[in-house]
Amino acid sequence: MTAGLRIDLAIPCDGFEVALVWETAHTALGLFGPSGAGKSSVLEALAGLRHGVRGRIEVGGRTWLDSARGVALPPEARGVGYVPQELALFPHRDVLGNLRSGERRARRTLPATRRLAPERVLELLELTALAHRPVTALSGGERQRVALGRALCSAPSLLLLDEPLASLDLPLRRRILPYLLRVREEVGIPTVHVSHEPAEMTLLCSEVCVLDAGRGVACGPPAEIFGAHRLQAGEGGAELVNVLAGTVGAVADSLAMVEIEPGLRIAIADQGSFVAGQRVAFELRAADILLARGPVAGLSAQNVVAATVREVHAPPREELHAAAVVSALLGSREQPIAIVVSQRACRELALAPGTSVHLIFKAQACHLLAAY
Amino acid sequence: MSDAALVALGLSARVALCATLAILPPGIALGWLLARRDVPGKALLETLAALPLVLPPTAVGYLLLRLLARDGPLGERALGLDLLFTWKGAVLASAVMALPLVVRTARLAFEEVDPRLEAMARTLGLGPLRAFAEVTLPLARRGLAAAAVLGFTRALGEFGATVIVAGNIPGKTQTLALAIFSEMQAGRDSSAMTLVGITVVLAFVALWTVEILQRKGRQRG
Repeated sequence: MTAGLRIDLAIPCDGFEVALVWETAHTALGLFGPSGAGKSSVLEALAGLRHGVRGRIEVGGRTWLDSARGVALPPEARGVGYVPQELALFPHRDVLGNLRSGERRARRTLPATRRLAPERVLELLELTALAHRPVTALSGGERQRVALGRALCSAPSLLLLDEPLASLDLPLRRRILPYLLRVREEVGIPTVHVSHEPAEMTLLCSEVCVLDAGRGVACGPPAEIFGAHRLQAGEGGAELVNVLAGTVGAVADSLAMVEIEPGLRIAIADQGSFVAGQRVAFELRAADILLARGPVAGLSAQNVVAATVREVHAPPREELHAAAVVSALLGSREQPIAIVVSQRACRELALAPGTSVHLIFKAQACHLLAAY
Repeated sequence: MSDAALVALGLSARVALCATLAILPPGIALGWLLARRDVPGKALLETLAALPLVLPPTAVGYLLLRLLARDGPLGERALGLDLLFTWKGAVLASAVMALPLVVRTARLAFEEVDPRLEAMARTLGLGPLRAFAEVTLPLARRGLAAAAVLGFTRALGEFGATVIVAGNIPGKTQTLALAIFSEMQAGRDSSAMTLVGITVVLAFVALWTVEILQRKGRQRG
């Protein structure tokens, strides 16, 4: 399958217009922005469910829309797997029946060997036991998985996921995230994932496009987008979150050692959910990390990690009380870690690109996002 | 029950059933159109479809009579079939009178189906017709069944238009509603009462069915 998405869209919305130009060869795509920015409208335009969309959509070398030449494929000819926020499960069918809804297209477009059979999707999403339940009798997380499964079974060439975790509470998010990761790793269908959660995007996407008030304002790898872009916008980074992933090594004394790269281990507080050998993703708030320049000893914090400052983002001059955000590199990792410090600390430690520092954080500050 | 009452009952059932079957396809199509599409002149179409509900049935009957008359645009000369004063004429009259009720109920049934479910079916590769058959129709089925039953009861009770188009010929076009009128005119009170009793039972059962169908529909959400 030719990867790649090329869109140049103008979508009329209530009172404003969403305009987005996006060309990428990546397949794990994120569309990020505050609510009301027009993210869902872009997904609907991609699915072919919006009227009056102008511009061009090209997916994997196929033209879905070219309004200048009068080309506009109807939704059934595009081959998307759409999971809208409200899910729109078919209430007159059971779980398996919902999964089978798009089977006819799958039969038409893919040979049996390359198709995801409903039975396999039930297994992948751990729905086998619920196969014959009516969808009206399912919990929120189960319904979410059915909607995802229905999209997967239809052999889509592009998956469109609209805030798949937004309506779920934290424990449920932790349960659904691994399924999304599994889909990304095992199925590998190009995906556009809409969210306003940086942690989610960092974990699931290799390229993120930021939409603000109907305009595409930035595009790039998540580390870059959530490192620099937001900070320069002067948001202070108070809710800035680092997402790290690694393999669980030893688990002992209520601590799990997670190796995020060879030789680099982070201690995470364990409440019995870690198993050695497992892949895990966890988040670490930028405000929960301390910086030290000199040698440190005798701390209660479990993690002291050597790092090098890459950049210092000072807040605009007029914001005296806003914090600065420092990005630092650990070991050979390309993705920097963001740390929030006060402007005063920034001056006193004389932080500048290239400064050697230690990052200090508690094992308790690392929150498990997903095990997969 | 007298033989005459049985004959009237049989004729009524046949007329009402045929009328219902005849108006279901156009009634459902029109109901869908009004629920889902913004066609030009929609308000006019809506009004026209509701007209038989408010016009005196005799007025509708008279219009049909003129249309079906030997020289009328739908008469024997034009179409080669003579419906006047036959049971088929009674079917046509009851069908026209029952149409508004069927259209309205079908429209409500379609409006209760979330259009996002249809959109979803389209993204899964189903064309508009398949999406209609696999999603819209099954989800609207209770409401559509209610539309059919209501159409049937309306056709069963039709009097004014029928008497003008089909006359009141015992054994041929005399339905229950017409028979009640004749028996009353002739002063046969007990016979009229029997016929009234039959119609009450029929109407009661039909309305009860509609009520149950609609209640189940609501429970399903």
